[in-house]
Amino acid sequence: LQVFDEQGKDVTPHPLFHPDPNAAVPRQGKTLPSSARLGAAGAGLLSSFPPHQASGEDTNVGSFSSFNLTEGLNLASCNFTGVQVRPAEMKEELTEEDLERSVEVYLTETETLWMLDLPSVVVSVESEDAGRIVERNKIYADICKTRPGNDRFVEKMMQTINGAAKNKEVQCDQIVMEDKGVTVTSWDLYDSFNALEKNPASQAGGTRATTRESSQPHTTKKHHQTTPVSSDTDSTTSPTMVLESSVHEEEDCHSGAILRSDNFQQDLFFMERILMENIFQPKLAVYRQFPVLTDPDVTSDTGAAAAATEEAEEREQGKEKKDKEEQKEAFINPSVLSDGEKSPEEVVLPSLERLWSYVCDLTNGHSVSSMAWSKVNPDLLAVGYGAFDFKEQKKGLACCWSLKNPMWPERVFQCEHGVTALDFSVGRPNLLAVGMYNGSVAIYDVRSRNHAALLDSSESTNKPTGPVWQLRWVEEDRGARGAGKAERLICISADGRVTSWFVQKRLDCTDLMKIKRTEREEQKLLGMKERKREALISQQAAGMCFDFHPKDANVYLAGTEEGYIHKCSCSSTEQFLETYRGHKGPVYKVVWNPFSTEMFLSCSADWSIILWHQDSQAPVLTLNSSSAVVHDVAWSPKSVFAFAAANESRVEIWDLGGSVLNPVISCLASPGEKFTSVLFATNTDCLLVGDSKGEVSVFKLQNLAAPSTDKVQFLVRRTSEVHLK
Amino acid sequence: AEVEETLKRIQAHKGVMATMVINAEGIPVRTTLDNSTTVQYAGLLHQLTVKARSTVRDLDPQNDLTFLRIRSKKHEIMIAPDKEYLLIVIQNPCE
Repeated sequence: LQVFDEQGKDVTPHPLFHPDPNAAVPRQGKTLPSSARLGAAGAGLLSSFPPHQASGEDTNVGSFSSFNLTEGLNLASCNFTGVQVRPAEMKEELTEEDLERSVEVYLTETETLWMLDLPSVVVSVESEDAGRIVERNKIYADICKTRPGNDRFVEKMMQTINGAAKNKEVQCDQIVMEDKGVTVTSWDLYDSFNALEKNPASQAGGTRATTRESSQPHTTKKHHQTTPVSSDTDSTTSPTMVLESSVHEEEDCHSGAILRSDNFQQDLFFMERILMENIFQPKLAVYRQFPVLTDPDVTSDTGAAAAATEEAEEREQGKEKKDKEEQKEAFINPSVLSDGEKSPEEVVLPSLERLWSYVCDLTNGHSVSSMAWSKVNPDLLAVGYGAFDFKEQKKGLACCWSLKNPMWPERVFQCEHGVTALDFSVGRPNLLAVGMYNGSVAIYDVRSRNHAALLDSSESTNKPTGPVWQLRWVEEDRGARGAGKAERLICISADGRVTSWFVQKRLDCTDLMKIKRTEREEQKLLGMKERKREALISQQAAGMCFDFHPKDANVYLAGTEEGYIHKCSCSSTEQFLETYRGHKGPVYKVVWNPFSTEMFLSCSADWSIILWHQDSQAPVLTLNSSSAVVHDVAWSPKSVFAFAAANESRVEIWDLGGSVLNPVISCLASPGEKFTSVLFATNTDCLLVGDSKGEVSVFKLQNLAAPSTDKVQFLVRRTSEVHLK
Repeated sequence: AEVEETLKRIQAHKGVMATMVINAEGIPVRTTLDNSTTVQYAGLLHQLTVKARSTVRDLDPQNDLTFLRIRSKKHEIMIAPDKEYLLIVIQNPCE
């Protein structure tokens, strides 16, 4: 039994006799054997009779004589009256050693001390005096029987004196009652239970609930953390009270700490993304091909805008305004659009619907030179910014944009020179390789926010001396040599070399191929010797682009500035396997068809796009649509014969299954803007177009017909026929 | 520095009506509204956050509240609660 007063101090009544703390243990040991010893003549353990032991012995009392019982009671009463509150007495802390130490318990018997002698009025039937007492009892009983009428009995009146009553006043402190209520929630218990191990010594400053289980004294220590909860339920104005009474200096240092904490940064990050989601929700839904939700409270004039036609020309006018709000309303319900236009005979026209564009202050003024998706996260896009012309060189940028935040890039890497090419690694998806206008290659780790490159080629002696026009991580089977696939970083640059980079203390490279200038066929027949005597400035032709065969990692195509496309193999550094002649200007891009891997496409500055078959040295198909340099071309990942091309003023989607003369969709650029690159989205029907103003616009391809199987077969047959000619 | 930038960007966003950072005692650390409105928001939203957190944790004590969004007719209130602060952004997403 432990008693606590209101300050929480232990006022358990201690026994009067308190020799020294070390003897406390043996004292307690003594009482137990005393209870076992039920000697008739009083136990006699006086001083060591803690009251709580007395209560424990209640069950044994019956076997004691009453003498012992009263003795015990007296002792108890003595103890209580003599007790003073002894707040200073500290509870002896028993250390581990104390507990382990063997304590010797000495049991001795004191002499018998008579405290009270009440002679008994009961005598046993078997004692010697029994007969005499029985007789006397009998006589007494007889006398009592003869009492009424007997002369020997006289009635006498007595008066008891009533003592004078005296009033005694006693004053005591008011007993303050306080009601305390706490709602204990299950998480509160969970927290407290877990916090038991963490901070057992934490002080409880605030008020405590008066009802507690003694088994968990520590729960109250956690209550002071929940008092904000309870105080809030008590009075709604408590926060405002706190506001007025808090110390100003504490505010300052707390607020600074808040702003600098990591959690805050993260929360800001999420908040920004959520804001973006709110703003861009319809667009993102279209991107992800979800049904778009309309907010029932937010219907402004959607009807009028939604009735806009699907013609590509009118769409550009809408784009020129670059007003996101209008577009958002216009695109809120794309199904309305097609329904409005459809008439029983009319076919819905395919179109590009502009969703949003990745642009921010940083990228304004730069021209988009290349884009690449992350291999692992299809929502992460890396965009390189840098100019193609020599005259426009300034510092370049590589930014990583995430779908979740179209208004600010996730990572910004500033580069010394214009970025001309970039690519994400497949094997280690956090590595981004960036090729620059001065020929250097840097590898960034997108996990870190560090601006510095992880690896830089500036120390390499063999690095390209011209702009790196294209960069790619290529996986190859190293079946013979090592385990699994190894990855190489390969780039092609304007000094005519195809180089493969590796890391050996620093980024270094070796040449895979040196592209020599190829003579034109007709001139070969003329005076070859004359040509050799000509002093050529360089023996090498600048390489502009390359593409590895999707199935065979040893074979790749390289496009040059001369207009030739060479098919090369990794095993030979000098000889080409094939040369494809057809372009009259530098070949800017060459891409294998991902489905039908014998065909590839190339685009060049001579305004044309050429479809080739790998076995034929002559072009299969030449596509001319406008008099502008075609900067970029890309096959659609979904449809066999569809591809996108960016020439300076337009983005065109061609579908060879439909028509080979005209593009299916043609989207004009706004004035002053030139499209420089295209990229298809892998997980959805969208096209990304980069332009010279630094914007990467995301377009949704609508109603692009998938080619029917017989058309595909027809085309394949046709192209194979062509090449056999 | 990055925190400042991000805060500024959030404040400059289209449709964002107000941004507030309030510490654990209900005192605004950063706010774009006037003091009385901020204090009002702080008090009310703090209580709501506490109740929301209590609800989440009652259902599963190992869970915790990470974000709270209140969509009303006129605007949306987004709250990122933490032990030491509350980040509140009020956005009007349609306008």
